[in-house]
Amino acid sequence: MNALNLQGVGHAYLGRTVLDGIDLAVATGEIVALVGPSGCGKSTLSHIAADLIEARAGRVLRGYRRHTMIFQEPALLPWATAEDNIAFSLKLAGVPRRQRAARIADTAARVALLPEDLRKFPVELSGGMKQRVAIARALAVHPDFIYFDEPFTALDVALRRRMQDLVIDTCAGGQLSGLFITHDLQEAARLADRIAVLDSHGKGVLGIRPLPSAPAERTDATNFDWVQSALASDPLFRHIHDVDERQIT
Amino acid sequence: MTTRRHGTLLPRLADRIGRVLEFLWSGWAGLAAMCLLAAVWQAGHEAYGPFILTSPVETLQAAAALASDPRAWALALTTLQRAVTGFALAALLGGGLGIVAGYSPATMRLASPLVTVILGVPPIAWIVLAMIWFGGSDATVRTVILIAALPVVFLGAARGILTRDRGLDRMAQAFGAGPLRRFLSVGLRQTTTTLFPGLALALGTSFKVAVMAELLANAGGIGGALADARTNLDIANALAWVIVSVGLLIAVEYTLIYPVKGELDRWRRAAQPWGIRR
Repeated sequence: MNALNLQGVGHAYLGRTVLDGIDLAVATGEIVALVGPSGCGKSTLSHIAADLIEARAGRVLRGYRRHTMIFQEPALLPWATAEDNIAFSLKLAGVPRRQRAARIADTAARVALLPEDLRKFPVELSGGMKQRVAIARALAVHPDFIYFDEPFTALDVALRRRMQDLVIDTCAGGQLSGLFITHDLQEAARLADRIAVLDSHGKGVLGIRPLPSAPAERTDATNFDWVQSALASDPLFRHIHDVDERQIT
Repeated sequence: MTTRRHGTLLPRLADRIGRVLEFLWSGWAGLAAMCLLAAVWQAGHEAYGPFILTSPVETLQAAAALASDPRAWALALTTLQRAVTGFALAALLGGGLGIVAGYSPATMRLASPLVTVILGVPPIAWIVLAMIWFGGSDATVRTVILIAALPVVFLGAARGILTRDRGLDRMAQAFGAGPLRRFLSVGLRQTTTTLFPGLALALGTSFKVAVMAELLANAGGIGGALADARTNLDIANALAWVIVSVGLLIAVEYTLIYPVKGELDRWRRAAQPWGIRR
């Protein structure tokens, strides 16, 4: 069974259709990147899939056990320390109090957060550190599906690479599936097993392209070549960098 | 586990003691302001004579005399009890209604004209009505406090919910929090930013209105004592009672509002680098 199945999903804001007839499947253990120009409704689609908003049409079938989400902005509780922010997801997942400290320490080590960082409040952390905490919060509950809603867009290039490496390492075990929303084809080519392209006006998924090997096995050179040839010769990616500011996301 | 506990407990304790000491140290500024006030007061006394304005020293002596009188304590406690219970009513009702209005735009649209009306009616009119309804009892004073203090608490709570970070709500929802969980863990905490200034204002209003209502409704307490002082043209005593009521307000504010606010605002202090902390 697939981890996620979207069938004919459609949505409208204030009577204006933003998504229509979206079919998309994410198999267990794979990361699907959903790319498309800004304003094509990819964030909305991820919110529908994660049950944050209700679809106006279609069906969402979830075959996974537990999902978490990493947002574009870290969305940390400003009044709680990094540690308590990670504990927030554990609390909501019903992890007993006694086990939380060990889980937090474990997850913090995975995303390279030091014990002294854990005692800091979000205001004391840099943008990258905040996003690290947000990733730790998502990983701490041991999800088997993660929604990435353009999580690294606000970070600078070097930091973005490190965060992407973190995601590749975490997902390399094959236990995790995910839907990665991004408008950066380069990023999609680094992280994903398959890349789905959404129509510029949200009218369906235009097509899906598999990547040649597992993310952990690819190099920058192969990724670069893939993106170059995709942009040059694959008609699917022709409108990927179109921008229409008037559209509501 | 125990070693870990100790590891986090000690710095936390040190942090708390540090905050208390820093707070006490800031008392010097308050003391300086009081001395300035006393100086202006003394100047007024020397210009107009003791019949119009007694000197600060005489007033303090009168206040000291009140402090050694058990009957005065009983009067002050009556007012304190009325002000605090009235404030608690206003805080619960105003806070509750404000939170509901913050979440429900329809309630907000209905409530805001009512708040304007309540704000527009002078408290003195409410005192007259409450006197007719309840006579010179606790209920009169509490009713007037409730009506006078309700709007600020209501607006503070509503604004806090309205201006909350929706991203945090969405985050909590994505991690599986239901509406109640989201309110308790994310929404409620965010209202404190605007709710606490409202509460501090409401507490001050409670004391002022309590004394005024007592005086006008002849309901005893500090207001009643002030009425007596007026009849006897006893300026020193009247001013001493004013000092007592201000003292009570300060005591309640610093034992009730500020410790809670300090605890909730720990993260805000963390944002301020050393050297510019006030």
